Amino acid sequence: MQTRKIVFVVMVILLIGLLAACGSTAPAEPATQEPVAEEPAAEEPVVEEPSEPVTIEFFYPVAVDAPIAAIIEGYIDTFEAENPHITVEAVFSGGYGDVQTAIMTAIDGGAEPPAMGVMLATALYDLINADAISPVSPSDEYLADVFPAFLDNSRYDGKIWSVPFQRSAVVMYYNADLFEEAGIEPPDSWDSWAAAAQALTVRDGAEVTRWGIEYPSGWPYWLFQPLAIGSGQNIVGESDTEVFFDDPDVIEAVQFYIDLSEEYGAMAAGVQGIWGQAPTDLATGLTAMIVHSTGSLTGLLDQVDFELGVMPIPGQTAGTFASVPGGGNIYIMKGAPEEKQAAAWLFAEFLTEAERVADFSIQTGYIASLNSSYKTDAMKAYLAEVPQAEDTKNALQYAGAELMVQNLGEVRNIFHDYLQRAYNGEMTPEEAMAAAQTEAEAALEIFK
Amino acid sequence: MQLSKDGQRRRWNTKKIFAMLITWTIALLWAVPVLWALVASFRPASEPMGRGDVWFGSMLTLDNYIKAWSLAPFDRYFINTVVIVTMVLGVQLVTITLAGFAFAHYEFRGSKILLFVILLQLMIPTTALLVPNFSTIRFLNLYDTRLAIAIPYFGSAFGAFLMRQAFLEVPHDLVDAGTIDGASWWQLLRHIYLPPTIPVLVAFGISSVAWHWNEFLWPLIITKSDAARPLTAGLVRFTQLGEIGAQWSLLSAATLIVAAPLFIAFLFFQRRFIESFVHSGLK
Amino acid sequence: MERSKTRKSSLPYLLILPTLFFVAIFTIWPTINSFYMSLFRQRLNLARFREPTFVGIENFVNLFSDPRFIQVLNNTIIYVIGTVPLAIFLAFLFAFLVNQRIRGVGLSRLSFFHPSILPMVSAATIWMFFLTPDYGIFNEALYFLGYRGPQNWTANPDLALISIMIVALWKNAGYYMIFYLAGMQNLPTEVFEAATLDGASTWQKLRYVTFPLLRGTTLFITTIAIIGAFQTVDQIFVLTKGGPSGASTTLLYYLWQVRFEFQDVGKASAITVVLIVLLLLFTVTNFVLSERGED
Repeated sequence: MQTRKIVFVVMVILLIGLLAACGSTAPAEPATQEPVAEEPAAEEPVVEEPSEPVTIEFFYPVAVDAPIAAIIEGYIDTFEAENPHITVEAVFSGGYGDVQTAIMTAIDGGAEPPAMGVMLATALYDLINADAISPVSPSDEYLADVFPAFLDNSRYDGKIWSVPFQRSAVVMYYNADLFEEAGIEPPDSWDSWAAAAQALTVRDGAEVTRWGIEYPSGWPYWLFQPLAIGSGQNIVGESDTEVFFDDPDVIEAVQFYIDLSEEYGAMAAGVQGIWGQAPTDLATGLTAMIVHSTGSLTGLLDQVDFELGVMPIPGQTAGTFASVPGGGNIYIMKGAPEEKQAAAWLFAEFLTEAERVADFSIQTGYIASLNSSYKTDAMKAYLAEVPQAEDTKNALQYAGAELMVQNLGEVRNIFHDYLQRAYNGEMTPEEAMAAAQTEAEAALEIFK
Repeated sequence: MQLSKDGQRRRWNTKKIFAMLITWTIALLWAVPVLWALVASFRPASEPMGRGDVWFGSMLTLDNYIKAWSLAPFDRYFINTVVIVTMVLGVQLVTITLAGFAFAHYEFRGSKILLFVILLQLMIPTTALLVPNFSTIRFLNLYDTRLAIAIPYFGSAFGAFLMRQAFLEVPHDLVDAGTIDGASWWQLLRHIYLPPTIPVLVAFGISSVAWHWNEFLWPLIITKSDAARPLTAGLVRFTQLGEIGAQWSLLSAATLIVAAPLFIAFLFFQRRFIESFVHSGLK
Repeated sequence: MERSKTRKSSLPYLLILPTLFFVAIFTIWPTINSFYMSLFRQRLNLARFREPTFVGIENFVNLFSDPRFIQVLNNTIIYVIGTVPLAIFLAFLFAFLVNQRIRGVGLSRLSFFHPSILPMVSAATIWMFFLTPDYGIFNEALYFLGYRGPQNWTANPDLALISIMIVALWKNAGYYMIFYLAGMQNLPTEVFEAATLDGASTWQKLRYVTFPLLRGTTLFITTIAIIGAFQTVDQIFVLTKGGPSGASTTLLYYLWQVRFEFQDVGKASAITVVLIVLLLLFTVTNFVLSERGED
């Protein structure tokens, strides 16, 4: 009898353990989403310098060929010297997507999110819909100083939600020496571009020893956009719930990408997952041109032993060009305690001071987002020495809007999926873009 | 055991040379990836690889290791991995020994059903349950801790079953003698069951360590900070560095840093590693 | 077994309690919970869908009418069927090779086995280079052998899945080899001597003696290989991220993506249920098939 009793007790304990787990984890999951944010704020509306020591986490991605980690550590040292009570822990978290997933998972896991993070400028709606970020309040001088194009992705509902940090644009880098040897001018239309790429492709029997062009397409929407814009129709418009994937001009742009390999034999066939290798390939002579981010300029200049040309992407008709802005902004996370958010904003302001913005641009190739940065001595000296930096900035004048709509993660996924199917020849550009349009519209439906 | 298998084979000399060549060729091919990584990790980063030029550079350098070490806190990752692996193994050794002993030594009501319930874990591996387990960890308030990485593995169906099988092979007369002498269950376990089954525990321990040293997905989602992150989750950041230029030398160095401790231990204890597998009755 | 039943007591229950406790919390409960949560709609990335709403089997209906999910299922099954038998074949071959009495067996054994103690992410990182177009060693070797097809392994829809399978094979074959090796070394020598006297060739001995005697080992390896195949995703994170166009997305990777990238808890729970059912289906079928083969 006694045995039974003990067994019974044991089973009850086990059951209680189970039930406890049940009770909580079942549908109650999201209840305590961001308790920390509700904590009573400091008595005064957060003043510049919190006196208590505070440690903030700063999640950032590395997406270009530049020593971002070392540069950021340098800034943190300066910042901490100026603000002794603040400690910044920079956490390199992979690519842009990885940073966003990591932060959202942390919130989801019930942990305090990092106080700040660098995520895609276009992640705005996704972050707002998830109620993950706090609005920020840049000074009026700053707002007057920043390039308006870079602030486009920060405004929503009458507020500013992020500040530009590592902003870039799509450009084409080319080996100017090869162009000169072959007597070819830098292209100014699709036709002359394809012809140049074809002429610069070198074959040894069947084996290609140098491609005319490398055009990465592992994560393709961004690099594709200049083709669509150059063709006459961007894939995104004014509305945050509308896309133009199946427009005839967009389809033509898809076809042009395919033609670069199919018709001109100037590019490897199919999707090219070579974002990382492309700059090295240009430097080592494996290709004559690459389409890449302005953020890779400095890294490229370090590697090349030839004259490096930089230009916007040629448009379809002669004399037209196209580009698209990109890159990451600084966001302040709502789930972090007030004092950490305040400290994070302090660091964000520090990072966006004119000299620092200029310095970051010089060290990486990212485009400085402030007018005043171009008036600093350091920047002037740099531009005199590296004229290509001027070219990257000039690419901006040809830029259309980067893809930013509601439910971006899903819409972008759909677009990638079908764009890659077209690139890989699994579907015709018409079929692929029509399917992408239908699915994207369905994904946007609930946001209209 | 290995000896005296088929001594006659000695005669077939051409056949033997042929067999040797085949074995060596395949073995060599199999080793190329790691050999390459080893060579590449000492290649100067300033010498990008190109067609037909992917092995040695103009000189050997440690710079890649130094740079990799500076880009991520590998020492902290290393400590985390060791702590996690030790935690898992320590608890597992206790739980599986006790459970294996219970199932092997006693007959009790419901033992079959309970064994079946535990064995479900073999068929539905913990990895597949990461979604609900994530919620559980959140409920337990363990997110972003090393314990969170380890705790789902504290009970091991595989280990419990393995120990049960091993204990069942312990000769009856020994057990009976012990029982007659009035030994307590603890003494029975300690002095009669455990000594002959140590190799099985070692083999289980080795596969447990290897498995958890290498685990990636669960630690990736259940941690956010370097304070809890193990080596594998740290390494993946470097593969993202693939996005910032083809720094193969640096990547190789980072890869080897992560793999090295277990790898070196393996090289030293190679024979024991494999022998304990071979003789553990893991079959 | 007439093991000791010295006393009827609660002791055995207490002894298995720790194991049972953790299995209950981290296997049984989550399994039940997945079934339950799969009947709800809950999306954490949209404030308005954060509270779970009961939707019946809608998640499953949506899944099975989504061509993307069907593609994921296909990929998973191809992955399992493509890697498991091949890995077992290689494991058997390797075990046979290093079980010979020839020089260099120790080094060969080391060579076959060493990938299995490498983290999968490390293995995949190394292979990322091997699969690089133009100068990656794998592509160079294939070119040397006369292959002239596409080289963008990780971005080509026909090759992406194969490339993650190659990495898994390279890493796992040596691990399974160990079990065969253990089995071979424990085989009774008399059978071989008898077979040799009967004039059996090496091949005949392998085919008619070794392999049948190792049936139990094969069953064990097949089971762990199947379960392992469903669990391998690490190399996908490093090599393909499931692309291009989902061509290398397997069930577990998709599960991760839906849950943590798209934060769709209901759909992720439904996928978990499908995964559990598939795992049970495969392991039970495998077991039944080999049981039947034994008669």
